[in-house]
Amino acid sequence: MPRLRVTRRLFWLVPLALLPLPLYLDQYRQYVVNLMLMYVPVGIGFNVVVGNLGLLAFSNVAFFGIGAYTSGVLALKLGVPWWLTILPAGLMGALAGCAAGIPALRGVRLFYLAIMTLAFGELLRWVYIRWVPVTGGSFGMSVPPPSVFGWTLETEGHKFYVFLVLVVLMVVLTDRVLRSRFGRAFMAIKDNELAAAAMGIPTDRYILLAFAWGGFVVGIGGSMYAALVGHVTPIAFDLTELILEFAVIMVGGLGSLLGSVIGAAVITAAPEFFREWLGFQELLFGLLIIAVILFLPRGLASLLARLHPVFVDRYYRD
Amino acid sequence: MLAVFLQLVVSGVATGMLYALVALSMTVGYRATTVVNFGHGDMVMAGAYAVFVFVGSGLPFAPALLLGLVVLFLFGLGTQRVLMRPIIAGPHLSLAMMALAIGYAVRGGARLEWGSEVTTLQRPYAQDAWMVGPVVFTTDDLVIATFVILLLLVLFLVFNVTPVGRLIRAVFQSQRGAALVGIDVHAFHGVMWGAGAALGAAGGVLLALIVPLSPDMGVWTLLRGFAAMTLGGFGSLHGAVIGGLILGVMEKLLGFYLSTVFIDITAYLITILVLLIRPSGLFGRQAAVRV
Amino acid sequence: MAALLEVADVTVRFGGLTAVDAVSLQVGAGEVCALIGPNGAGKTTLFNAVSGNVAVTDGRVTFRGEAIHRLTPHEIAAKGVRRTFQNGGLFGQLTALENVLVGLHTRVDSRLLGLLAGRKAARQAEQAATRQARELLDIFEIGHVADTPAADLSGGQQRMVEIVRALATEPPLLLLDEPAVGLAPHMRAQLGAVIRRLAAERGIGILLIEHAIELVMSVSDRVVVLNYGKKVADAPPDVVRADRNVLEAYLGHA
Repeated sequence: MPRLRVTRRLFWLVPLALLPLPLYLDQYRQYVVNLMLMYVPVGIGFNVVVGNLGLLAFSNVAFFGIGAYTSGVLALKLGVPWWLTILPAGLMGALAGCAAGIPALRGVRLFYLAIMTLAFGELLRWVYIRWVPVTGGSFGMSVPPPSVFGWTLETEGHKFYVFLVLVVLMVVLTDRVLRSRFGRAFMAIKDNELAAAAMGIPTDRYILLAFAWGGFVVGIGGSMYAALVGHVTPIAFDLTELILEFAVIMVGGLGSLLGSVIGAAVITAAPEFFREWLGFQELLFGLLIIAVILFLPRGLASLLARLHPVFVDRYYRD
Repeated sequence: MLAVFLQLVVSGVATGMLYALVALSMTVGYRATTVVNFGHGDMVMAGAYAVFVFVGSGLPFAPALLLGLVVLFLFGLGTQRVLMRPIIAGPHLSLAMMALAIGYAVRGGARLEWGSEVTTLQRPYAQDAWMVGPVVFTTDDLVIATFVILLLLVLFLVFNVTPVGRLIRAVFQSQRGAALVGIDVHAFHGVMWGAGAALGAAGGVLLALIVPLSPDMGVWTLLRGFAAMTLGGFGSLHGAVIGGLILGVMEKLLGFYLSTVFIDITAYLITILVLLIRPSGLFGRQAAVRV
Repeated sequence: MAALLEVADVTVRFGGLTAVDAVSLQVGAGEVCALIGPNGAGKTTLFNAVSGNVAVTDGRVTFRGEAIHRLTPHEIAAKGVRRTFQNGGLFGQLTALENVLVGLHTRVDSRLLGLLAGRKAARQAEQAATRQARELLDIFEIGHVADTPAADLSGGQQRMVEIVRALATEPPLLLLDEPAVGLAPHMRAQLGAVIRRLAAERGIGILLIEHAIELVMSVSDRVVVLNYGKKVADAPPDVVRADRNVLEAYLGHA
């Protein structure tokens, strides 16, 4: 009997298997699943900067927020249908990514760049709060129901299918970037920047590129947020949100595309269950990350990688 | 006009003293371990809450303050020993991430306990104000300034005169060199991490004299501490102090003469601009690398 | 014909310290030039000056007749000057294969937009690079560790992977910084044979820093001796071996 060849193509079965899901879930459960889907691009983009490029960046919530606000403002103020705001949201995220990464061109590295991203993120959050005519200030803004090609996505199930397409697209595109000379350059910079430059890699430009790609993917996650939650407020993009995103990539697996997906699936449902207890999220995720660093530094993805080589992250194409 | 300007400078210096203390405490931990403590702000916050708890339990202020600093010293020492040391040889990212996660856990704990109420630390003295010429000084200003200046003097003496200071400077110069001449670098890291936390806690208590306690006060302070460090030159001890003072004064001046929004964002702008224009800050060694 | 690499009166100062003092040397195509001298003589600093990792205070470095001492390291590497690092410059988390692929970076003709769009040309460029990297590993007899993370390789394998990575684009000039450190004697001999072959068969100019003196003597065409940042000898190995200055440099100023 011929053995079934296990290849990466089999990963396509995962989204296919998910297709009938809305038939079995009520609106609330479907909402939670959509939330998980939304955190896949958020985690992926974050992981490119932190895991692949190896930079402790605090600006991820800023990119997330930019995406959400771009979608929200375009839809609410200009009446643009939601699906047409997705790409602009990603591009604004990429632009913000470039802005956060620009000091890299000036030779700023390591924690200097990390501190820069922290200041940048807080500055943006301050803009959301203060630029009231556009953002609605502290109270935020309500976004009209999302629509695609003139169809309004009325149920969570409808959103699910659109989200699934977006998530698959982001996974595939990021996979293409990572499994090329670009992704290898990110990893090389993380491991040994001097040696990377000695291979002819203009490291500063690649740092900027990693930020821009991360910002793009996370920005798309932001536009999904606007569609899913329907309300965009500054408080959704604060440092408490950031710990959740850190938990996604740390628990899933730093520097692993698969890890970002797993992390989004296992982490993001949690806050739904203890929303009432202020501070519990920070405490729990703080402790969780400490445990992961000590006992499972490569995250859940590394457990899968031990099971079968198909789960090992590869940075080339055969 | 001059009176207004002087007034702004005076109150700017008072806040700047706070920033200076926090930035200095961060620099101490960083220089000792070469790890930037992204959770340091939460040590500042924890210090303020610790003293709040001790005062609430009936202790007089001075012993409560002392106890608070000791608790934070032990907490810093303990977390360094138990959580950081096992991964000290690992990637730098893990260490920074660990410090961040510890900070988050502490913040979450504080929010769980006090997040929904407004708590303030009662001043152990009566608030008063004096006119010196056209400028008003408050007791808060004086207490903060006196405390920080005394602390700086003590630190200066410890660093430059005592044998302990020589040892500290030796390790600051070269970790490996220090290990070679028989200094227990691991123990040193723990002690300095603790010392950084205790110093930060002192800053937190001073801050709590002028603003209400909140689990987020640490992050607020952290960002200003980073701005002061960046401005002064990352890793420079006197740079941290001077950077803090400049930041404090600039917040007030820009806030008054340009727009009140600068009170909030001066720190962020300084961080971003310094890193863009002159990454090594005023007194720093080279921050940029040639690759 | 001008030499492949020409270092002309290069001085490197760090603050008040002169690490390299008006050193000149030349490396021709197919020539192995060894750089020896006691610790702190300025060998690695000179290397870094050539590869662009430290700023040249004074003097010129020209490669194929073109001044390169004001260029950045990645620009110099892209021009065809490749190097290895003293303390091992491998990317530990990447596999041996991926390391060599990074070495091929400037030769992989794939564009970001092409990759994103899934264009065939971009994909094929990546696949061709992968095949080439595997072949290179096979040629140097380390193909069996292609998919092992570099950090998990033995010391000898790591050295070989680093050399293969530096060689991948067939650079005209190769800078090897103490490639034999930590290698067992038989591995050193093998390394010496590889170095000779690269110079003889492919015409690669090689500048070599090495402490293992028997390796230096057996592979190099010329030996340049540095002491306190200054050049004290520049001659064929057997001449240098008999040189008093060299002996003094090594035996400690007696």
